[in-house]
Amino acid sequence: CDSNFDELNTNKVSATSIDPAFQLNAAIVGCAYPNGSLIYDIGVVQQIISPNSGVLTGANYNQDNRNATQELWQGYYRNVIKNTRDVINRIQDQPERSNLLQMTRIIQAFAFMVLTDDYGSIPYFEGGQGYSQQVYLPVYDSQEAIYEDLIKELTEATSALNLSGRVETADILYAGDLNKWKSFGYSLLLRAGMRLSEVDAGKAQQIVQTAFQGGVILSNDQNAVILHDPNYTNTIGNLLNSTEASNFYLTAPFVDYLRSKNDPRLSAIAITYVGAKSGPEQTVASGTYDASVHVGMPMGNDNAGAVKAASDLGLASFYEFAQADRRRVAKNTAPNFLVTASQNNLLLAEARHRGWITTGDVESYYNAGVRAHMEQLGFVDENSAIPSDEVDAYLAANPFDASKALEQINTQYWISSFMNGPEAFANFRRSGYPILDTNPFPGKEVDFINRLTYPNSEISVNSENVNAAISSQGPDNLATKVWWDK
Amino acid sequence: QVTDLIASGQTINTAGKASKTFLDLQQSLNWLEQEFQVSIAYQDEIVKAKKTRAKMDSFESVEQALTVLLQGTGLKYDKAGERFYIISQKKPSQVPSLNSQETVLVNSFPASNKINGGSTFSGIENAKVEKRRVEIGGRITDENGSGFPGVNILLKGTTTGAVSDAQGNYVINVENENSVLVFSFVGYVDQEIVVGNQSVINVQMEVDESNLEEVVVTALGIEKSAKSLGYATSTVHSDELSINRTPNVMNALQGKVAGVSISALGSGPGGTSKIRIRGQSSISGQNNPLIVVNGVPIDNTNFGSNPGNNASDSSIGVRGGGNTSDGGDGLSSINPDDVETMTILKGAAAAALYGSRAKDGVIMITTKSKNDSKGIGVTYNLNYTNEAPLDFTDYQYEYGQGEQGVRPTTPNPTSGQWSFGEKFQPGMTQVLFDGVTVPYEPIRGRVKAFFRNGQNVTNSITLATSSDKGGMSLSFSDLNSKGIVPNNTYNRKTINLGFAYNLSPKFSFRGNFNYSHEDNENPPNIGQQDNTIPVALYNMANSMPLDVLRDNRYDANGNEAVYSRFRNRTNPYFTLSDQFQNIKRDRIFGNIALKYYLTDWLFVQGRVGQDYWSRDQDYNNFPTGQASRAPAPAGFVNGVYTQEQRRFREINTDFLINANKKFGELGVNVNFGGNHMQRRSDLNSVQVTDFVVRDLYTVQNGRAKDPLYDLNERAVNSLYGSAELSFQDKFFLTGTVRNDWFSTLSKENRSILYPSVSASWVFHENLNTTGWLNFGKIRAAYAEVGSDADVGAYSNVLFYGINNNLFGGQPVGGPNGTNLPNPNLRPMRIGEAEIGFELSMFQSRVSLDMALYRKLTTDQIVSAQISDASGFVNTSINSGKSENKGVEMLLTVVPVESNDFTWEASMNAAYNITEVLSLLTDQPGERITVGTHVFNGELRQIVGMEMGQVAGFGYRRDEQGRKIFGANGIPLRTPDLVNYGSALPNWVGGFTNSFNYKGIMLSFLIDFKLGNIMLSGTNFNAVRHGLHKMTLEGREGGVVGDGVNEAGEINTAVAPVQSYWEVVRSQALVEPVIYDGGYWKLRQITLGYDFTKHLPANQPFKSVKLNFVANNVLMLKKWVDNIDPESFGYSSDNLVGMESTGLPSTRGLGFNLNVKF
Repeated sequence: CDSNFDELNTNKVSATSIDPAFQLNAAIVGCAYPNGSLIYDIGVVQQIISPNSGVLTGANYNQDNRNATQELWQGYYRNVIKNTRDVINRIQDQPERSNLLQMTRIIQAFAFMVLTDDYGSIPYFEGGQGYSQQVYLPVYDSQEAIYEDLIKELTEATSALNLSGRVETADILYAGDLNKWKSFGYSLLLRAGMRLSEVDAGKAQQIVQTAFQGGVILSNDQNAVILHDPNYTNTIGNLLNSTEASNFYLTAPFVDYLRSKNDPRLSAIAITYVGAKSGPEQTVASGTYDASVHVGMPMGNDNAGAVKAASDLGLASFYEFAQADRRRVAKNTAPNFLVTASQNNLLLAEARHRGWITTGDVESYYNAGVRAHMEQLGFVDENSAIPSDEVDAYLAANPFDASKALEQINTQYWISSFMNGPEAFANFRRSGYPILDTNPFPGKEVDFINRLTYPNSEISVNSENVNAAISSQGPDNLATKVWWDK
Repeated sequence: QVTDLIASGQTINTAGKASKTFLDLQQSLNWLEQEFQVSIAYQDEIVKAKKTRAKMDSFESVEQALTVLLQGTGLKYDKAGERFYIISQKKPSQVPSLNSQETVLVNSFPASNKINGGSTFSGIENAKVEKRRVEIGGRITDENGSGFPGVNILLKGTTTGAVSDAQGNYVINVENENSVLVFSFVGYVDQEIVVGNQSVINVQMEVDESNLEEVVVTALGIEKSAKSLGYATSTVHSDELSINRTPNVMNALQGKVAGVSISALGSGPGGTSKIRIRGQSSISGQNNPLIVVNGVPIDNTNFGSNPGNNASDSSIGVRGGGNTSDGGDGLSSINPDDVETMTILKGAAAAALYGSRAKDGVIMITTKSKNDSKGIGVTYNLNYTNEAPLDFTDYQYEYGQGEQGVRPTTPNPTSGQWSFGEKFQPGMTQVLFDGVTVPYEPIRGRVKAFFRNGQNVTNSITLATSSDKGGMSLSFSDLNSKGIVPNNTYNRKTINLGFAYNLSPKFSFRGNFNYSHEDNENPPNIGQQDNTIPVALYNMANSMPLDVLRDNRYDANGNEAVYSRFRNRTNPYFTLSDQFQNIKRDRIFGNIALKYYLTDWLFVQGRVGQDYWSRDQDYNNFPTGQASRAPAPAGFVNGVYTQEQRRFREINTDFLINANKKFGELGVNVNFGGNHMQRRSDLNSVQVTDFVVRDLYTVQNGRAKDPLYDLNERAVNSLYGSAELSFQDKFFLTGTVRNDWFSTLSKENRSILYPSVSASWVFHENLNTTGWLNFGKIRAAYAEVGSDADVGAYSNVLFYGINNNLFGGQPVGGPNGTNLPNPNLRPMRIGEAEIGFELSMFQSRVSLDMALYRKLTTDQIVSAQISDASGFVNTSINSGKSENKGVEMLLTVVPVESNDFTWEASMNAAYNITEVLSLLTDQPGERITVGTHVFNGELRQIVGMEMGQVAGFGYRRDEQGRKIFGANGIPLRTPDLVNYGSALPNWVGGFTNSFNYKGIMLSFLIDFKLGNIMLSGTNFNAVRHGLHKMTLEGREGGVVGDGVNEAGEINTAVAPVQSYWEVVRSQALVEPVIYDGGYWKLRQITLGYDFTKHLPANQPFKSVKLNFVANNVLMLKKWVDNIDPESFGYSSDNLVGMESTGLPSTRGLGFNLNVKF
């Protein structure tokens, strides 16, 4: 009575297998930062904030908004880790796909590093093993253990890339260019090593050396970047062009700092809608890039406070505060950078300053880092391009000062990581730079946000494991510091 | 005539009920003749104008009925023979005696009205003796050779007739030797005999096996006598559905059937009906009963918003966001006028023969296949109702539009959805949109101002014939609905053809075909926060004038003008004018059955049925220019449009062999059968994003195109058998066994066998010594059912998909969906035991029917939320166990009865409690999350607790119960989610009172659902947006919450009022919006009158009935603020209790006119 049932229960229109390279592509696309990164990461480092509450509550008020804190978690586990684990599971015994395996391990390490940097303890060893191992409720691992393994993974994967092996041409990050993948892998290793500077300097040095020797991304044409298009839009860019177009503004600390240094990047990033009294009045016609016009929104305001602040500053309304330009750097199709030459040069500047590497000099790395970011802006949008003479002028006017090396380098890293929320947030916590004032919002829960809180769904579904993590790491709030943050 | 009560005696008392119970004597006798297939002879004048009162359908025998009916009438009856009764006055000698010397002649039969045993002797007083040329006589015997009284003898071609006497003898005068005599009796084969030269004609009548006694149609269409049933059923007759009707046929039954919970969703006239029988047994997904039409299942795929059926064959729901409308279900294509009876099989025992799909009960619909009296009849029915939206909002109107205590005073303010502005003062103004200055004053009554009155108009016409060989019924119906959303209309046309024919005494066939065409335009989006009219409207700032909102919906470019910083909340007038959706469904379903009697006790039946529908749907998920959407790339305009076609076919083929034989007092009835079910559904869909030409919503015009094809196939094969033993027609024992093979399960798990056993004992004759007990029966049943209902086809394998658009020229793909496949699923099993009894006492003035059941559901297939750190969001697990326990009862009493006035009251009530016994383990407290609300709470199953726990964060409190506040004065939330209670009602029921005063019938129904918790999304939004009255606290100078700080000191921190209340959103602290979701409602009032008796004699109308109806009349009691607890949008059990603003409920007023020709 069930003669043809096996055949009947075979899906004739869906694939049971696809080329794992396409899954790696999905994982790479999934690495783009979600809206929660705007509401927290970018706000914590005081670059962009919203005066509005409710859905947009976050680093603007230094309050916990779990709907925003969970976005990175959900996006990365569901879109990145799910795919990388599956790819690794499927091809680990296929020597001919070894390069793809290593590339996948590198992307997976990137994602896990972002996750642990934002949340601290996370499901790592059992994370993403729902299908391969039937682990529905994974245990959490300490950040220390995670970093240990990330470093191992990155080291192994990078060195295992076989330059004479198969070229994975479907790869959307580097079109299978294994040299670039190697650089990308070592760049992440460099990043991981630097992350340990406060918690284990010796180990940090050793790892940074390994990474540096391996060769990291040092030019913009090697940048790890997701090139969004009208079909695969930049999530944050989409938000800033749609529902929240008039609700996010550059902060006063960020605008003021850039202007104080005559930084040409202010014009490249910002737009002010002169005389705008409302969202609908923020038209192209009223927009200007003129650096002298831009006014950043002071930190710590709610909606009414922003109205008052605008009035105190002589603006037509808070809609006249400067915005990250939604038609240039925050456009729908803005590229999403994972690792840049600018960031690496600045990390190397610090490493050289600390004496962890011995090649090159600090200032050269510093200058290269600043220059790379300025050039990178022109890559984002041609209307944000900064002429090289302006770069030179900036560097001449703001020369590297070895006595303020760490502050200068990491403040540049802050600017350089604009719109790269997780990295800006992580390096700010690690280095302590730039020096930012505490958020003055009266209702804040913490002075500075040190981590993101776990999703409500974890508290509900995976409570035993999340509680174990909380009891070893500290309370599940915005104040608890992650392991490497001393 | 129509009856209400069959089988277990669940009566549904509503409009028209009174007319069925309170008959005049002649109508009662007609009814008895039909129901028991007997002849009752009497003179018209002795029964004329005599009233009686009896619950006709409670009678188990003609004798019993006649005893009751004739009480106090001065009449008596005599049994003149098998199936033949004579009524006479107690004072003898006025009735012509029936003997061979004084043959009663019947000369008033109309030529077209064939004589049979069911006809009434209505012309006795006019009998006149004709001049006869030949007198013929003889004896008529039955199949056993005994004299057969009451057989009609007709002289063919004339109106001359006679009837046999108590001994079976007859005499008739014929014209000549060519005359033909026709001998007929209901239940027997007609015989025609040419007189020839005979003067004595003896006839032996033969039983017509195709014409069984009145019975209940049970599973598979197997007919059984009511008293033999060992389980609870309820039968609903057509009047219940057609007089007080609703566009979805089932919604008319709210509150009327014990143990059946029906919810009309607040989703428009083409929407789904949520039906739950004996509570919810399955932990997740759908608990919909199986719909069977004329013995064959039909599809009831639910296109509701968030249907939650993870195994649906059309499981790919709406695409691309922006569309959360309720696209209806399978019941919505049924025309109530075609329904002859609807039998609800509640328990597993009743449904056992339907197997897996019947785990939640069966709704068996029998459609009309013949006229209800001999000959041709035409019925016209007009139904009209006007649906007025009801506004239950009780918002604060002290502080108006704005945020942080500031009202809008400059052009293009964007508070729009916030009412945290200034206190209203006379003379204040506000500036809206681009400089529109209007008074700053409360705007009340927006629900009624925005929505229009809905309207339902149904025209039906039915043509039916009936003859001794069979009958036919052909109907056409047109339903026109205007939804309360001003652009929502729903039209349904149905054609139904039903027929039954006896080719020979042994061979018969019957069938039905139903074609429907549904056209649902613009069913509104519901059950979401964004892109939905109800949420935007219910949360609009309380000083926003609707006309200003409407007149300023476009900006200069024709895009939506921004009115709120919350651009997700699209201006409802923009949605109304710019978003569209069209759903058209053509459906044809029907079946044909052939039946052949091998011998008089053995038949075989073959049947094939098909349900086929195709459904075209297109909608613009997001219109061009909607403010919540990012602009399109240069050269395009934005927007999303979807066009899709679905096709569905289910074929059921079955056979049945039945043997039915009596051995003395022992009866044996054995069935054996098998069924093959095969189902296939196809989906073609194209979605496009951004357009070249503005306002041209076609797939060709799209920039990015995203086509999709999906195919689902599944099959179930089954073999089953049942055996019933009866003894003395008082003791009944039935056993069934069924084996199913499911294509969706793995080879090891796909076969499952399950049995049922039931028994009943009709005991009143043994006990009824004093006569107070008219009927008594006890029953008991146990059954098991297995189901793959929550397993989708191919759910054992992980599938991969490739995105439609390349990224940088390269493919991107990955595993489909967020549900982790589980290849080892076993069928769910249900074991259910029930006992019950039926009593009818004091000449049926008190009747009681009760049932107790316990239902154990094991190996449940549960879509459980898992940690998303696993990579997936849900998986199907196979270990859930739950237990439903409950009581259901129906009590009917007749407090007053007299010739002119009667009052009947009935109450049905059901108590059900469902406990989760185990999930992955049976550790108390273990839990899974089965559904999450739009970001503010969730529905859980927790071992050891009632099913369907509403959970969310609450206020953190100290040991004394005081709320704890943070240093910023904002309340802190509990570290973990709090379980607030079950979202499933414990009590469901209704009270009906029916009055009949001289033929004027009035009835009203009060119904209730009690004992359920809800999380109100409407109030959630009302709190965070400052509309709820509770947010008045702290408007001036901020809130100092009543409680302590984290150090345990009295809280003195002042929190800004807006932030204070927004914790429901930012912290998901939903405790303030948790409510008791119960209600008491005056559900229905019906006033009716049958004008038939006032009709003059010679005109075409056979009957004219008019009823006035009112639905959802009055909310007597509710607990939730601002909404009707029933205005609910989700059809899924995964989101039960998770209210998100649906359409307001409506009060219907209208009439039903029924005319028969």
